[in-house]
Amino acid sequence: MSLFLEPSLLDVQMVLEEVWTSFLGVEEPLLPRTPGDITVGWSAAVTVSGEWHGMVSVELPTHVAEDVTRRMLGLVDGLDVAADEDVADAVGELVNMIGGNVKSLMPGPSVLSLPVVAAGRVARPSDVVEVCRLDASWAGSPLVVSVHVQAKAA
Amino acid sequence: MMKILVADDSRVMRQIVIRTLRQAGYAGHDIVEAENGKEALEKVHSEAPDLVLSDWNMPEMNGIDLLAAVRSAGSSVPFGFVTSEGSADMRARASAGGALFLIAKPFTPEAFDEVLAPVLKG
Repeated sequence: MSLFLEPSLLDVQMVLEEVWTSFLGVEEPLLPRTPGDITVGWSAAVTVSGEWHGMVSVELPTHVAEDVTRRMLGLVDGLDVAADEDVADAVGELVNMIGGNVKSLMPGPSVLSLPVVAAGRVARPSDVVEVCRLDASWAGSPLVVSVHVQAKAA
Repeated sequence: MMKILVADDSRVMRQIVIRTLRQAGYAGHDIVEAENGKEALEKVHSEAPDLVLSDWNMPEMNGIDLLAAVRSAGSSVPFGFVTSEGSADMRARASAGGALFLIAKPFTPEAFDEVLAPVLKG
């Protein structure tokens, strides 16, 4: 029988901060942000299937996705341009790490999907509902990490 | 100088792994890259690496199937996972398959050194 639990906001925050400080540096910390709409330039999602079912996604404005890519690749700010292919790769890897760590916090065994990346918003199945949403700010720009589960489970 | 095979479908993550190897004090080794488990398996045979660092979740052939194929082919090359999934279940499966270690993403140069020192400095 599958379990319909959800990760706590604190769990997701801890995972995001660990990923961020490890690969994106500590000069610009992630700060909490009042929830609100953001202009999504890039997004990515992974699904977890098994003992726990869920979908973890990340949404970023274009310039944040490009900054994340430059930092992950060790490129020089303002000098190197992040190619779309690299941005898609970096945003996908970001959600892969966040999703993989969220999966580790939930009952297993489960399987993590490969990331799905979109320029714009990743389409979600119609039968899922958001159970956890983390709004953060990085260098003054917003980003959102969310967890969705099937509606009947919420 | 040793040869290290880095297998990950993400070019960004391969770059991070290679950079972290350098930061952990393992600069100067010969690095070979593979985009998935199938390519990694071919390179285990053609390149004869001294160490394999592999992602788990990859298209074509995943990391645990790669490890099984490497061992089935009779290779005892030191093999470690670098993966976003560090649960007890995954660690047990990695160990049972013959992996020396599992480094969970995100990681630090210190985490790399801790598991690599016995292999590369030993």
